[in-house]
Amino acid sequence: MFPKLDPLLHSELRLAVMSILAGVDEADFTYLKKQTGATSGNLSVQIDKLTAAGYITVEKGFKGKMPRTTCKITPTGQEAFSNYVEALKEYLSAGN
Amino acid sequence: MEQNKEMTASQSLQLITETLNNSRKDILRSNAKYYMIWGALLTLFSLAIYLLWKTTGHAYWNLLWFAMPLVGFPMDKWVGSREKVVRSENVISRITRGIWLTFCIFSCSVALFNILYSFANTSPIGTIAVGTSLSGQIILLFGMAETITGVALKNWIIKIAGVVTGIGGLALYYGIGLYEEQMLLFTFAGVVLFITGILVKRQNR
Repeated sequence: MFPKLDPLLHSELRLAVMSILAGVDEADFTYLKKQTGATSGNLSVQIDKLTAAGYITVEKGFKGKMPRTTCKITPTGQEAFSNYVEALKEYLSAGN
Repeated sequence: MEQNKEMTASQSLQLITETLNNSRKDILRSNAKYYMIWGALLTLFSLAIYLLWKTTGHAYWNLLWFAMPLVGFPMDKWVGSREKVVRSENVISRITRGIWLTFCIFSCSVALFNILYSFANTSPIGTIAVGTSLSGQIILLFGMAETITGVALKNWIIKIAGVVTGIGGLALYYGIGLYEEQMLLFTFAGVVLFITGILVKRQNR
């Protein structure tokens, strides 16, 4: 019996965002947008979904006079991401 | 990138791997700029000290080295503040910063001990012996820091540049003169660092 893949993470953009955030302390919105190649609107929607699930936290502030939105993965998000990767490995090892 | 695209398990894993690789490339791109800045500064300072020492005959011009961080760090900060995208900190960038900070502490300590010894020692031969070994020690430390950075970033250009600077620099050190000519070792290290920056930037465009 395969473990169920987390539907929240099994989406291209959300998984990309979580992959970036899993490896860094925090990342700002512009950085995430550049790394994923997503549009601002699309990225905002996905970030809201991840925030609502408690996987990431969003902090709004300023860098000089420019507004800055910073995203950070939470321990819950870190655990969900690890579980997702483990589940993927099981799927792939079963396929080989 | 689409938010609802259906993915297979292997596609998901590929996406994670790609994202991690992109983050590594991003760090390398960002580092390249700093290699160019510090490479150019090292080249300019070493050439300036070489020329001043050669024309005046005074080794005191070596004190100018302490001005390099005073120019370099504000420049570093200014370049960082001009970036539109704020790069995130991760384990690799922390390790890289730690390596270069360790290099700074060790090379400054070696230089400081050398100065103190020069003042305390009355024998000119002893002072020359310590003074000339200093360049060899610093060039080795520099090459080692650069090679370890290459290992941490999994980048062969930086690894090769580190070996060229450390081992090549040491080979040059044994063949070069005892006095102002020693400064040319750092010109060599600066040029290698600057070229490394250009190559790494081109590699990770």
